[in-house]
Amino acid sequence: MSEPLVGAPLLSAKGVSKSYGAVRALRSVDLEVRRGEAHALLGANGAGKSTFVKIVTGVVTIDGGTLTLDGEPLRLANPHQGLGKGIASVFQDPALVPDLTVLDNCKLTGSSPERVRAELEKMGLGALDLREKASDIPLPFQRMIDLARALSHDPQLLILDEITAALPRDLAEKVFEVMAQQVADDKAVLFISHRLDEVIAHCTMCTVFRDGHTVASFVPREGGEQRIVTSMLGAQADLAREDLTERAPTSPGETFLEVRDLASGQAHDLNFEVRAGEVVGLIALEGQGQDDVFACLSGDQRATAGSISLRGKELKARHPADAISKGMVLVPADRLLALLPQRPIRESISLPLRARIRHWGPFSPTKERAIIDGVVKRLSIDTRAAAQSRRLSGGNQQKLTIARWLAAGFDTLLLFDPTRGIDIGTKNQIYELVRELAASGKAVLMFTSELREANLVPDRILVLRRGTLVAELSPEATEEEMLQAMYGVVEGVAG
Amino acid sequence: MSTSTSPPMSTPAAPETITTLPKPTTALQRFQSRHGWLVAIAALLVVMLFWRASQVPVFGGFQVRTITAGTLSLALLAMAIGVVIITGGFNFAVGSMVVFINCFSAWLMKDKGLVACLAIAVLSILLSVVLSAIMGWISVVSGVPDIIVTLAISFMLPGVALLILGGPGGGTSPDFVNLVVGGFSNPWPSFIWLVLAIALVWVPVSRSRFGKALYAVGSSRAAAFLAGVDVGRTRIKAYALSGLFCGLAGVVTTAYTASGEPRASIGLGMLLNAVAAVVLGGVALQGGVGGMVGPVLAAFVLSLIPAIMLGLGVDPNTAETVRGIILIVVVLVGGWLQMRRSRA
Repeated sequence: MSEPLVGAPLLSAKGVSKSYGAVRALRSVDLEVRRGEAHALLGANGAGKSTFVKIVTGVVTIDGGTLTLDGEPLRLANPHQGLGKGIASVFQDPALVPDLTVLDNCKLTGSSPERVRAELEKMGLGALDLREKASDIPLPFQRMIDLARALSHDPQLLILDEITAALPRDLAEKVFEVMAQQVADDKAVLFISHRLDEVIAHCTMCTVFRDGHTVASFVPREGGEQRIVTSMLGAQADLAREDLTERAPTSPGETFLEVRDLASGQAHDLNFEVRAGEVVGLIALEGQGQDDVFACLSGDQRATAGSISLRGKELKARHPADAISKGMVLVPADRLLALLPQRPIRESISLPLRARIRHWGPFSPTKERAIIDGVVKRLSIDTRAAAQSRRLSGGNQQKLTIARWLAAGFDTLLLFDPTRGIDIGTKNQIYELVRELAASGKAVLMFTSELREANLVPDRILVLRRGTLVAELSPEATEEEMLQAMYGVVEGVAG
Repeated sequence: MSTSTSPPMSTPAAPETITTLPKPTTALQRFQSRHGWLVAIAALLVVMLFWRASQVPVFGGFQVRTITAGTLSLALLAMAIGVVIITGGFNFAVGSMVVFINCFSAWLMKDKGLVACLAIAVLSILLSVVLSAIMGWISVVSGVPDIIVTLAISFMLPGVALLILGGPGGGTSPDFVNLVVGGFSNPWPSFIWLVLAIALVWVPVSRSRFGKALYAVGSSRAAAFLAGVDVGRTRIKAYALSGLFCGLAGVVTTAYTASGEPRASIGLGMLLNAVAAVVLGGVALQGGVGGMVGPVLAAFVLSLIPAIMLGLGVDPNTAETVRGIILIVVVLVGGWLQMRRSRA
């Protein structure tokens, strides 16, 4: 690879690491952004991109490694300090305080309103009135104002984190013009995006992260989307497939969950069904509407169009309790959300059970205990910390959330990223459990952010992109095929 | 791979929208949405003042003085809790702090001259600022919600007041009374003090970076942090400012009653009144919205209610009950309206 002719290094990271508790988000990443570069940072979900950006912008502190800006060590206590050192960042969620006017927001960061207005005029948005309350301005324009505010500080390094993800085309083009201007002025841009076409068209360099390591740096135009996808996956892509266990062929039965033309939040025009005895996987990049799909199915969020049917009967859930009483239950990714953290395990399990077996009057403690002991044994939950649910390990907590529904009984199980942050041994137990549940005639819809899981557990894989289903893959699909579908690099992939 | 000159694989493009700029609102619309509520409260107050004036044969200095001096401490207290509510917190101890400062200053001011009383007033206000800042600091450092910290301290303060005063007592200099709340029929001193508190304290603060930070912390802590606001320090400063208004209210109470009254129930009653004034004055209970002029006007509205009912010939006990019901309705309806607004 020939060294491209660009300017001096501006931001340089060596061996940067960061852990959140037991989870190692960044193991050791190296990255160098030079002047005159639009540098893309790429990686699959959980590769460590956002953690890295948080370190560079001062949202979280660095654990190990070195970070330098223009040769000086860089250590920020909060994102604001970056402004003084020539780093300005714009995030997907605009950092404008909703209840203040734009002018007051500028005052908060010490930005000059005249310069912000001048930057907006350069982008052709001079008509925006800065005296408006931020919350009265549509979100895409808030992002542009946020960008203008960042530019008003004349940053040497401009960090754009998923800013184009929810921008309409014409506004995104304005962002690219800003990037080009930065490059022309011999400054730099660090650009994070899931849209590979944007990276190839507008970035002069890219660095790929995988599992908390830097795996490659190259000129995106030279490799194209194929090379980027291959780097994100790495050579181990096929190794993981050896874990594929023999699985009994399933014979799907009755349709338990049927979704027709469903729309809710970001999700729209969803059509799929889940039948008894099958596990349907759902994969997507971050922020493609998966949250809305699960919130709507579980009854937490209303549908704006379409219908959900359970065993042929239409479900009009106003409340999670409605979906539960019709036999569809959710295991959320945030386990503590579902459990009673300070209460004994027994109580965490029996909470939904109580709602089901008895509405009034006392419970039969013997009966309750018998049911609970049954599921605890079946899931081999380590109950040594039985005093409080929160003391359990993540894996045992997740088993607990499944256990409670086993005790209560259900037809359709919704799993949202059930193995996030769980060790590999417990993961396998959960995979087996999910397969077992399906084999015993339950229907399971499982969203996963780990592609390996999509190979291991589901009978078929649905791909969600920009709020709607774009492909159906077989469980034998390679990770490359899945990523291509998730990124919309579709070349006639079909189930 | 790089040899294939195929066009970049097409990613389905986002809908080709020509994004239209939001229609700019006119100055009038902005004024309506931001200050409409304030205008409504001011109009209500004017109506009630005329109503009250029509009830009494003479509406002169004495009657006006009853209203201004009688409402001064409630108005200050509304500001005390208002600044904390704007940051998204809740200071349960404002009423107790006033009781404590009232007793503390009345204890020291007994049989003293004007100059000594003024020095004691300044000392008492400083004490209130320091104590409040400590409450805020405890909450920020320990992570215990401020409502719990201030609730606990609100039980302690009247106890200390009782300890130093030993029962209703204390006193102050008549000159001090004249200076703070005016003589028998002089409504101006209390009015001027209130205007000064707003003009010299609240207006400069709300226009400073710290003032914007108060709103930012209450509106969105995440956005405030990203904008470089030190959230913890802002909350502590908000408590210090709250303590300043509490201290002023406590000293005013001493001047108005010329004594100290160490009863916890007084503090609770003041707290409910102040919350009602804040809610009626357009401050959102979840933080980030509102100002101080609205609560001050609302404090006058609330304290006019019993006077008007008395003028109508309603039995005083009934009047108290009706007032209690009005307070509860104001807080509930205000809270409900704000919930709807925040969802929309």
